[in-house]
This record gives sequence, C-alpha cells and structure tokens, in this order.
Amino acid sequence: MKLIASWLRELTDVRLPVADLASLLSMRGFEVASLDPVPEGPLAPRPPTRAGGDDANDAVIDFEITANRPDCLSVAGLAREAATACRVPLRLPWDEAGRPISSVRAVSAPTPTRVVADGLEVTIEDADLCPRYAAAVVEVTIGPSPEWLANRLTAAGVRPINNIVDVTNYVLLEMGHPMHAFDLERLAGRQLRARRARAGERLCTLDGEDRALEPDMLVIADGSVPQAVAGVMGGAHSEVWPGTRLIALESAYFTPASVRRTSKRLGLKTEASSRFERGTDINAPVVALERACALIEQIGAGRRVGAVIDVYPSPRGPIDVTLRRQRIAQLLGTTVDDAEVLAILTGLGFDVAETADGWSVRVPTMRVDIVREADLIEEVARHHGYDRIPSHFPALHATAPRPDPRMARKTLLRHRLTSSGFSEAVSYTFVDEADAAPFVAGDRALVPLAYPLSEKFAVLRPSLLPGLLESVAHNRRREHRDVRLFEIGACFSTAGGEQHLVAFAWTGACVPEHWSGGLRLVDFFDAKGVVERIGEALNLPLVFTDLTNGYLVAGRAAAVSVGKTAIGVLGQLAPGQSEARGLAAGDEIYVAELDLDALDRLAPTADTRAESLPRFPSIVRDISIVVEEGLRSERLRATIRGVAPQTLIQIREFDRYKGQGIPEGRYSLSLRLTFRSPDRTLTDADVQEAMERVMEALTREHQAVQR
Amino acid sequence: MPDAEEIERLRLEFQAALAAAATDQALRAVRDRFLGRKGGVIASLMKAVAGASPADRPLLGTLANQFKNEIEGALDDRRASLESGRPVAGGLDVTLPGRQVPIGHLHPLTQVRQQVEAIFSRMGYEILEGPEIEDDYHNFEALNMPPEHPARDMQDTFFLGQPVPQRGLGTPGTRVSTRPAPPDRPATLLRTHTSAMQIRYMEAHEPPVRIVAIGKVFRRDNPDLTHTPMFHQFEGLLVDERVTFADLKGTLTAFVREIFAPDIRVMFRPSFFPYTEPSAEMFIGCVFCGGSGCPVCKRTGWLEILGSGMVHPSVLEAVGYDTERYTGFAFGTGIERVAMLKYGVDDIRLFYENDLRFLEQFSF
Repeated sequence: MKLIASWLRELTDVRLPVADLASLLSMRGFEVASLDPVPEGPLAPRPPTRAGGDDANDAVIDFEITANRPDCLSVAGLAREAATACRVPLRLPWDEAGRPISSVRAVSAPTPTRVVADGLEVTIEDADLCPRYAAAVVEVTIGPSPEWLANRLTAAGVRPINNIVDVTNYVLLEMGHPMHAFDLERLAGRQLRARRARAGERLCTLDGEDRALEPDMLVIADGSVPQAVAGVMGGAHSEVWPGTRLIALESAYFTPASVRRTSKRLGLKTEASSRFERGTDINAPVVALERACALIEQIGAGRRVGAVIDVYPSPRGPIDVTLRRQRIAQLLGTTVDDAEVLAILTGLGFDVAETADGWSVRVPTMRVDIVREADLIEEVARHHGYDRIPSHFPALHATAPRPDPRMARKTLLRHRLTSSGFSEAVSYTFVDEADAAPFVAGDRALVPLAYPLSEKFAVLRPSLLPGLLESVAHNRRREHRDVRLFEIGACFSTAGGEQHLVAFAWTGACVPEHWSGGLRLVDFFDAKGVVERIGEALNLPLVFTDLTNGYLVAGRAAAVSVGKTAIGVLGQLAPGQSEARGLAAGDEIYVAELDLDALDRLAPTADTRAESLPRFPSIVRDISIVVEEGLRSERLRATIRGVAPQTLIQIREFDRYKGQGIPEGRYSLSLRLTFRSPDRTLTDADVQEAMERVMEALTREHQAVQR
Repeated sequence: MPDAEEIERLRLEFQAALAAAATDQALRAVRDRFLGRKGGVIASLMKAVAGASPADRPLLGTLANQFKNEIEGALDDRRASLESGRPVAGGLDVTLPGRQVPIGHLHPLTQVRQQVEAIFSRMGYEILEGPEIEDDYHNFEALNMPPEHPARDMQDTFFLGQPVPQRGLGTPGTRVSTRPAPPDRPATLLRTHTSAMQIRYMEAHEPPVRIVAIGKVFRRDNPDLTHTPMFHQFEGLLVDERVTFADLKGTLTAFVREIFAPDIRVMFRPSFFPYTEPSAEMFIGCVFCGGSGCPVCKRTGWLEILGSGMVHPSVLEAVGYDTERYTGFAFGTGIERVAMLKYGVDDIRLFYENDLRFLEQFSF
C-alpha cells in the first residue's frame, strides 16, 4: 500500500516528519518496504494551508499490509492508526458534520433482493456470495481528471484512465472500498444481477482477455450476459468510454472466500480482488457511493440521478467483544492503565463501554480481524508498544522428558560417518522421475507431486541415492576426484509413506593422497567397513549376502540384514547409472543405503554391560587352507564355530590368495584363530586338539586342503 | 712453581677454549690440550704439584684435582649437548605435509541445528521431528487457517499427486501420550511449516508443553539467492499456566544472545500469523554492519530473525485445551536464515549443492 504522507495528513493532524511517521507505523505492525519522494506536480485540490503540511515534508511510503488488515489497504486505515498512536482525532470526509455529504434516499425494497429505481434494476440472485449490492445512477461527462487527482493516483501506483474510473480508484485508495462503473446504456434491460456464472459463459475482461467462467464464480450480469467478474474485474463491453453519458456505479460487498477462489482460478489479481478476498467493510458500500458521487460533483464530472439503491437482504451489525482487565496482564505480562486501553481502543474506532472487570467493546465492521478477546489485547499491545513489555523467563513446571533415542542415534551415525571421512550432504526431497525410477524398491511406487515446479522436482525421492549421486557428479565436475558424502533423511513411497534412511557414496582414493605412498582407490571392502562401523555403533550384528539389483554391479553387491530383517544394500554402482549422470563409466562409485527406521526398531536400548578384562593369556594359531572358489568365508567360519570349543574367541582372515601354486578354480585362505579361557591358562595340547577338530571339519565339509 | 693463581689462570684459559669449541673436532682438540696424557695441561700440572714443597702439596693437589674434574664434567656436558642437536641417519624433511586420517564435515545446517537443539534442551524443551508429509488438518485447519483463508497464500503449498498413508510420525518424542489418538488422515501435502507438529504433540499430551519441532519444510518458491522450494525450520511451543508475552521476549532474547552474540540488540514488532495473537516479529541488530546500516539490512540496522506470538486461542481450542487456564507462546524461523547470518553465506542454494569446497569450510 503506497501511502502519500500529505494525503494522510488531510485526514488527521499528525505532524511528524515522514521518516518518523514511517517508523511510528512500522512499530505498530506495518512494515515499511520503501520511502520515496513524491512526484512533481500538485497533489491536492488546494495548496496546503496548514502549518507543517509543507511539500518538503511529503513522501510516498510503501507499507506492507499483513493479510489480517484489509482496512489498512487505505489512507483512512493508516490515518486511523497514526491518529491513535499520536492521540489526535481523525477527520474522515464522509464522517464530517456527522452526516453524509450528499443526502440520499435509501430505497427500501419491494422484495428483499430486487430493487428498481431511476431506470436501474438491481437483483441479488446469490446472497451467499453477494450479501450486499448498492448502486447509483450518475450522469457523466467523460474527460481527464484534474491534475492533483491524477497525480495522487500515479504516486499511489494506480494509472489514471478518465475522471470516472479515477474517482472509483480514488475512493478505493482513500477508503479501501473497491467500486466499479458500468456504462448503463450498454446493460441489457438496464439490469445488474449478482448471480453465479452459467456453464459455458465467457467474458472479455477489461484487460482484453477472453475468459471462461465457471458456475461457482460470481458475476455481475445484465439482463442477458455477464458484464463483470464480481470483485475481480469488469467486462470490456460495458466499460466506461469517452462517449459514456450514464453510468451505474457499483459498490458492493462480496464474500471473501468466493473472490479469492475466483481470482486464483482466473489467475487474475487486482486492487479490488486483493481487498475483497481479505474482507471489506460490509457497511461501507453506501458511504463509498456517497463519497464517490460527491467527488464526481466536486471535480465537475457529473451528477447523481435519483436515489442510491441498496440491496442488503440480511444486514449485519457490529459485534461486541468482552475485554477483561485481568486478561491483558495475564497475556502480556504487564499491566496497561485503563486510560491508555480506552484511548487506544477508542482511537481505533471501537465503541467501548466499561464493565465490572473491564470493557465491552463494539467492533466496527471494517475490522474483520477482531473477533475475540485476544485480538483486542493485540490492539492494546501494539499501541502500548512491544518494547514497553518487560523481558521475563518462564517458570519450569515439569521436568523435560528424556531425549528421543532415535535422534541420539542419528547424531551418533553422523559422528561415525564424519569420522570415517564422509561429509554430510543435504539434498532436495523432490527429484527427477527418471533419476528416481531405478531406485524404487520392489512393490513400491513413486509419490508424484500434483503441480511440481519443474521436471527436475517431479517426484518425492524413493531413496537418498539419486540426490547423493547428483552431488557426486557436481563435485566431480569441479575437479574433486575423491568424494565421500553421506545423507540422513526421509524418503517416500505410495505404500510405505515416509521412511528414514541413511546412505553414502564414495568414489576416488580410499585415503587422501600423500607424498609418502601410492594411491589406492576405494573398493567394495572399504565401503563394507563403513557399513560394519554403522552396525557396531548401533550394537547390531549385520549379515551380508549376495544381492542382484538393478543399479548395482552383480558380484559386487550385498544385501544387508540383521537376523532375518532386511535393512539395506551395499555395492558398486552400475556403470550405466554413473554414465547417466555424466560420470565416467570406468570410475568406481560405491554406495550403501540403510533403513534407519528398521535399525531403530532393532537397536538394543539397554546400556552396555562392561566385561571384566581377561585374566589369562590367549593362544593364537594360523592355518592356511585351499578351497573351492565360490565358497563363502561366512560358511567356513560357521563350520569352524560349529566344532571349536568355547575358548575360540576370534576368527580373522588375514590372507587370501589365488594364482601360482594354487590349482585352477580354488583359492587359498589363511585364518588366524585366537583361543582364550576365562578361568585358566590354556595349554598347547588344548589348542592343538581344537585345531585338529577344526581342520578335520573343514576337510570333511568343504574339501579343504591344508597348505 | 704452580700456585692457586696459576690454576685460576688455567681455568680461565679452559673456559675460553671450551666456549670457542662448536664442533666435535674442536672439542676433541680442547680435550687433548687439557687432558692429554703427554704434555696435557693437567698432566703437566700434576707433575708440577708432585714436585711442590711438602707444605704446599696437599692444597695444590686438592685444587688441581678439582680443576681436572671440572674440565672432565664440562667437556662431557658440551659433548652431550652437541650430540643432541645432531640429526640421526636418514633425518626427515619436517616441512613436508603430515598424514591425516580423513575426516568429514557436518553440514552447516546440521551444525546450526545442533546448537539450536542444545540451547533449547537446556531450557527444558523436548526436541521433535515431525512427518514431512502432512494432511490439511494439521498443516492448516487446526492452525486457524480454514480453507480459503488468505494466509494460506503466504505458504504456497506442494500437494501430493495422490494421498499417501501416514505411518511414520517422525520422532515425536518420548513423553507418553495422555490423550486419545486422533483419527488417521492420509497425507496430501508437503508440510509448509513445522507448526503441524505442534498440533500433533498437543493432541497427544496435556499441558505443560515445552517442545521444539525441527526439520524440512516446503513451499512453492523457485530457487534464487534467498529462496529454495525446500528449507529447514525450527519452531518452539510452550503452553502452561501463566505464560505471558514477557516470557516470550525473555526466552527468545536468551536464544539469540547465545546463538549470535551475548550483547546483540533485539527488537520486537507487531506482525501477523494466523496461529498467534498477539503476533510479533523479532529483529536483531544487523550482524554485518552492527546497526549502522548496510545493503543486507536495507539500511535499517535491523535483521528479521524470528516470527513469534502468543498461541492463538483457536489453536488451543482445536486440541481441546482450556484457554482460560492455559496460555502459551510459539516461535519459529528458518535454519538457513540463521546459518546465512551466522556464517555470512550469501546464496541459500549453496546449502543444497553439497559442493565439498563449501562443506569443508565448516569445521568438524
């Protein structure tokens, strides 16, 4: 809302410098977007006479008006705020002398919704969408507006058109009430009917667009076709033009939700629609008509003919809201003097009556935002000043509940992954459908957005990997050869809803390049080590089995589970996936993704129990065996555990070899077995016997040959 | 004949020679000259002492022996000190870079988030993450934004192409629910604010309520310097008996003084949010110009940092709280906003590119 300071001063005796005026209103909730000098040329019908009303102290202040204050989308609304702040009276042209400027005869209707007078017929067919419709017939001579009026509109950001349209816009800016002028002689049957559009009806609006109308849109029609989209924009056919001699001046109240819906549907936002959709004053229409007619006469543009028509089937009055003295202190934490409460509320246009414990406050219909006590307390607080409310600290009445272990687990994983060399990524939750498709698990389906911003953001991510791989590609394009990234976040599917996952991607060197040694690139077991570390952190034994899936290299991919519960995958990204992201197919990228929700369900919650340290020494034995290729290490371990005594505390593979000296189709594996008893020192004989049993079992079950 | 004076002169001579000996070789020469078996200074001295008169002999002998011990000790010390400064075979170029175990960096948004969580945890707040997909009731209606409410325009929404079952509730805390479960509603949109979680929490618990909900939120904004269609928010809610606007001011002032600077200036100004009444915007003195006015603060000296207010009675009514008995305050802001001000980041999109050159600037 662009406010001309001198216009505001016409309505109230606020004599502050413009910068102070801006800051005064800003501290009452009207944010200042800009403060600019007024344009050249006269801005008032008469040169200012009052002291202090000098041009040097004028400016256009652009205020951002919050959605709850449509009344302040007007000079009068802001003047009322300024007058209240300065405790000076407000003088509105339409209130002066306590009576309307031009005396009019309000027409009482033969039927509540249809009124005929002075050659104009007004009918409300849908009182839900149009609770009130007032109109007047005016004889006009179309021409340019006087310079001061045109200048005021220009400074306020409205383009002058002609004297009649300009007067309606002037009243819109001054009072905040939108109006519309129809060329009466172009209205079929000289009728104005507030009705819903009929299926298939169209209207060419003032901006030249031909628009399709829908049955839940309110239109103002003449005897046959729509002539305006109610509250949004008039039609081109009945537009005021240089030859117009008679106008029907509309001043109505339209239901906010209806205007908002229509404006959105048509993609058409106007000065009028932005006021109607927030709520105009239902008791303003006749006052606005009087003000407009007075202005038309004042600038010599025409003269009203006959009475004002006012179709208002169910008049609404102001509401009364109770305000308790005690409640102000309870909510604000400070007391405000009765006299100040009274001055603030009266200044803002409320009628205040004292009661035993406070006040009964009559809310004018322009204040659509005030419906309950808290709303009034905000009014008091705004004008009392937030800076005058003390700072205090709330008492703690209950202990804080214990922290959520799931969040603690995420923190733990972040620490484990950063200490494994991974930096944390945060990617968009929505991704390209083509990027997402390969990562959709089994029976699940992607969740699409109804109206995505672009193809790039079309579906909710089913996995963290598309985002991570995009980030890997981004870094590779920027000369980062070694990339280690992880992410923790939510992913989505139609059947499963929201699911929390942790994932990482790793490419390039497995340790940072150093002058002392050669470069080793990351391989499957580096990546597996990180997954194992996650398992350790959560105290969960992970099981890895062969996996075939669409986006990992077969033979370098594993399914990860805890017991029988699948919790994720690990492996080398298929070269096709790398290439699709502009990465070299030859670069090996290792990825893993685990289901955090499943890990949360499985992770033990009990505290760790410390074990006493071993009191007796351990004995270590190595064996090297040759077995069939394809035999999984996991099975050898199971066989060993099956026959070894309780004193076997660790099995570790320390060498694996294929090639010279080993028959084709077999490999050699060296294992280190550690034995220890909790209650005695083991002897060589104990261990020897165990080793013999182990070797015998390996030979029997796996045809292992000792080297 | 030697006398005490002669020994003193020899001592000075030795000290001068020792001070001049900077290498092993020079040190050996000093040793030969003073301790050599044949013609060494000490050897000659001893011989002379032996030939002294029996009356002088005991004193001179003591002095000469003392002198000899002194020389031996001093020579040993000097040799040790020369050796300790000498590199071993295969000495290193200590100016070459060290070998570091690689360490990753937490995302700056996580770092800010952890600070926020720590500050409010200490103030007794429970930290929660709600679901990122929501239903219309929790995201709007229960927050005093019925259908067609103009404030819905402030938060232009991403709707899902189809309803999705809402199983995961994020991490809704550990406090046991004390109220009957509300009906299940499928999710139809991406939440536009974390306030939805406040409703979920109040539906499940009686006051007092002291929570901070934190996480991703979504609004239809095309990416530019200051907007992204996804960002992170944290929102606090305190509902109890006798909670006032003064408590709101005190709490938020304590928060910004800890996260920015202990002496930062603050200002509260009226604003509008559908779910608070009265509503306030909180400003801090510009962290870039200190309040003198710069382009970042649009020459006002102030930066908007938090939206806040006393919880709207309609919101408390929506969850069945007694609005006469309980009052509360709520506040919230973007984590990106805090991070941008704290770290001087001028393009919000950097947070989502995951460029290692950016991430690695933030320690730990």
